[in-house]
Amino acid sequence: MQAVTEYSVIGVARPRVDAPDKVTGATRYAADGYVHGLLHARPVLSTEAHARILSVEREAALAVSGVVAVLIAGDLPIAAAGNDRTVEPLAREEVVFAGQPVAIVVAESEAAAEDGAELVLVEYERLEPVVDVERAMRPGEALARLVDDAESGGDLESIHAGVDRGEDAEDEEELSGNVLDTVHRNSGDAVAAFEASDAIVSGTFRTPWIYQAYIEPQVATAWLEPNETLVVSTSTQGSFVTQRELARAFDLPLERIRIVAEPLGGAFGGKFALVEPLAAGAALVLRRPVRLVLTRGEDFQATNPASAQVSELRIGAHKDGTLTAISGRMIVDRGSNAGWGVEGISSLLVAGPYRWEAHDIRGYGVQTNRFTFGAYRGPGAPAAAFALETLLDELAAELGLDPVELRLRNAVVEGDVGVSGNPFPTMGAVEVLQRVQEHALWQTRDSLPDDEGVGVALGYWPGGNEPAAAVCRINQDGTMTIITSAVDMSGVNTGFAAIAAEAFGLSPEQVRVVSADTATGPYSGASGGSKVTYTVGKAVLRAAEAAREKLLAAASEELEIAPDDLEVVDGVVRAVGAHDRSISVEEISRLALRFGGRYEPIEGHGGSAQTVGAPSAAAHLVHVRVDRETGEVELLGYVMAQDVGRALNPALVEGQMRGGVAQGIGWALLEELAHDEDGQLLTGSFMDYAIPLAERVPDIDTLIVEVPAPDGPYGAKGIGEAPVIAGPPAIANAIAAAVGLRLRELPMTPPRVWAALNDGSDT
Amino acid sequence: MIPAQVAYVRASTLEEAFDALSDPDAKVLAGGHSLLPVMKLRIARPSLLVDIGRLELGGVRLDDGKLRLGALATWDDLVRADELETPALAAIAECAGVIGDLQVRNRGTLGGSLAHADPASDMPAVVLALGAALELRSSEGERTVAAADFFRGPFTTALHADELIAEIVLPLPPHGSGSAYVKVEHPASGFALAGAAALMQPDGSRTIAVTGIGAQPFLLSNNTEPGAALAEAEIYGDRFASEEYRRHVAGVVVRRALERAAERAKGV
Repeated sequence: MQAVTEYSVIGVARPRVDAPDKVTGATRYAADGYVHGLLHARPVLSTEAHARILSVEREAALAVSGVVAVLIAGDLPIAAAGNDRTVEPLAREEVVFAGQPVAIVVAESEAAAEDGAELVLVEYERLEPVVDVERAMRPGEALARLVDDAESGGDLESIHAGVDRGEDAEDEEELSGNVLDTVHRNSGDAVAAFEASDAIVSGTFRTPWIYQAYIEPQVATAWLEPNETLVVSTSTQGSFVTQRELARAFDLPLERIRIVAEPLGGAFGGKFALVEPLAAGAALVLRRPVRLVLTRGEDFQATNPASAQVSELRIGAHKDGTLTAISGRMIVDRGSNAGWGVEGISSLLVAGPYRWEAHDIRGYGVQTNRFTFGAYRGPGAPAAAFALETLLDELAAELGLDPVELRLRNAVVEGDVGVSGNPFPTMGAVEVLQRVQEHALWQTRDSLPDDEGVGVALGYWPGGNEPAAAVCRINQDGTMTIITSAVDMSGVNTGFAAIAAEAFGLSPEQVRVVSADTATGPYSGASGGSKVTYTVGKAVLRAAEAAREKLLAAASEELEIAPDDLEVVDGVVRAVGAHDRSISVEEISRLALRFGGRYEPIEGHGGSAQTVGAPSAAAHLVHVRVDRETGEVELLGYVMAQDVGRALNPALVEGQMRGGVAQGIGWALLEELAHDEDGQLLTGSFMDYAIPLAERVPDIDTLIVEVPAPDGPYGAKGIGEAPVIAGPPAIANAIAAAVGLRLRELPMTPPRVWAALNDGSDT
Repeated sequence: MIPAQVAYVRASTLEEAFDALSDPDAKVLAGGHSLLPVMKLRIARPSLLVDIGRLELGGVRLDDGKLRLGALATWDDLVRADELETPALAAIAECAGVIGDLQVRNRGTLGGSLAHADPASDMPAVVLALGAALELRSSEGERTVAAADFFRGPFTTALHADELIAEIVLPLPPHGSGSAYVKVEHPASGFALAGAAALMQPDGSRTIAVTGIGAQPFLLSNNTEPGAALAEAEIYGDRFASEEYRRHVAGVVVRRALERAAERAKGV
């Protein structure tokens, strides 16, 4: 936690490298690029949640002037079996959620495409919609999908969860065919540990489907080059994974697919090869460029929000607060996603960063006729933390212990074995709890007016890993270009610039970071799982170090001084202790980059293959006031302490912390994708679906805690996901402190808070 | 999000507007903040848009003991008008200031909103409570309809298809009056789950109107306690806010509006 002074770049707050273009409107997003001969696509979405498609009437649409084609599933050159969205971008014979694309209309103009889409008439035979996830699990219940193309399998699960996904459950329960996956995590004797407990609390917690609500809707433009290369310019978090997904869908060799990841207008987990198969499929059929830009309404209905979950949890402790056992069932609504779900990671994260004597946790991935589940910042984690951190508060009350003390007594430190069976790496769970404990808001929480309260909660994200590479190039003018294939999400490129500048000896203003495409860039995995800075950043560090070695070798010859006696400061190589003997990086670069030059280009390649994760923990303190008459919850203050390893750029770190807090407020109080009993979406616009506006987010006191990650670049770790996770239980615990109410369903809207207050009992 | 084909005419005089409105499928375009979204969703598909935005129908003025609000006055005009900075008229700017966001308030118009008659919109409660009348014009001439007779149901008013709202005319409450608008809003749309406007006069009389809870905004009877009046009212419930919640919260905002109006009256 000490300020670090040995670095000149690391730890200094600087503006994001992408900020000037974004705030002046100069950034060109995926929907902006000019493509000659471009066609525009408009999807036709299913109006039924579950139905058989009897016919698709296209003639009227085709008669609209400017409409080029109306495509249905059978028209696309899909070459793989399966029911995932990659290989079934348009529903074949069965639609499995309202909003599923059934056809696309492709036209010379956006208006013609929209006119045409209106005229496509789809005839359905209604099937029973499956919308209640708990009921869907019971043997004999109607199935959410009748036509099963079994072998689904892509590459989309591994991106998010840098952890094992648990054992498949061996003891078969009686479950319906809607249960696509079961997980069982079991160690120690939970029954005995509960029996030996002095206090036990339990509850069933519900969290709804949540929309990522990125500013830029899903968009992709696809075309064929004359040499038959399929090029897709898109808003995606991962170019290589999109390339692999399209290769799988259309059975094309990888080298015939080039993915260009354009500047991202927000993603939060939701942008992984969802609309690219549609645009690419149409371009392959029509052999003309096709652009698909979802409208906001389509994006609400047809994309891949976070799963709804039901979490049944029971925890126990001894008198002194030592936790004993945890047992529970994490029921995850996957919607139509047959490929993967968060039951694995959610059943792991529900144990929190705490030591348990025994655990017995099951996870269930259940199909329903709602959406297609996708990732959202900390997939599976907020629902798990809502259950656990609420119950920990209740346990503390039952035992007469301070809630922070209870958590501190059980928080893991390096080496403690978690529910995954693996030891926790270095992490700052204890440190972040200590920081909020000493905060004035916590210390003065007992002297607040009526109906006000302060709540605390702790969350963590294990962090992901994936091998990655980067290239560092010194240009003729002495500036540096860093090339990776990572998508610049949440400011990672700005972090790369700081890492490279520090490692090489330049000012960060002289570093440009290029996000290359799949044809030209070194390999980087997708931007997700809180792993980019940790893994690609490490590769950037090594690339800059490798380039620096080349620089010193050349400088050594020019100056006739051994490389070990040279240093690089602000773009100048000089003798240690004799600063007048020097040569600039620019000069060396000019000597190298010319006809007849004497030195190798000053370039380096670096790679990383991290195997140990770098978990980030975040503790939240929230101060609320509850209006007992209306049920409105007002946030009066917010404090969050997060272990970030090392803050490469504190301004960006704080930005991530604030953004996470804001999205946590959305989970807690506002957001819910709700369906009616027929599976029709009721909150499919921003007039119905509330997100936290600036005026609803209070001042946030961000406390950066630095527990360096041993393998991270300068000790940095991934920080994107941790700050969203424990917001909802912190707010719930604050409401409990204010008015004594324990809410077990999100979001905690005014009508729900009011109804619960008037029940006089917990909901 | 592209509207269906539509013709467009910009009226430079009232007569031109009335001519254009002889097309029964024509729609009047003012600020466009209610009409254009439903056109983009193709819920509304008028054949002709009659843009009245350039007509001289704006402004706020005091005239012969009456307050005259132009139909094209934007919410922001109302927020900023000096004429409205009195305790008796405070509800108008208070209400206008909680409609939408800054961009909406810069474009959305008073007349457009009243004509649209969304049952959850805010300002109808205020014009009802302040006893406003609406001056309507058509090629046939002019007529005046009391606000209490204007709102007929969800998105339904006394306005004829060929008529325009010209002005909203309010009697100036006696010195020593106070008014207020209080709402509990839907967290997404900002529209009222329950909104109440109240006018307290020095003789102790009071007028209360509510919005957001039923088919249309309505006045609460002067002869009944608000709670009793609300208990008998037909109130809407939906997935987000039940009928029971709306009825209860309506009572809360009515009480709070009355308290605030009374404070303002006393503060003179």
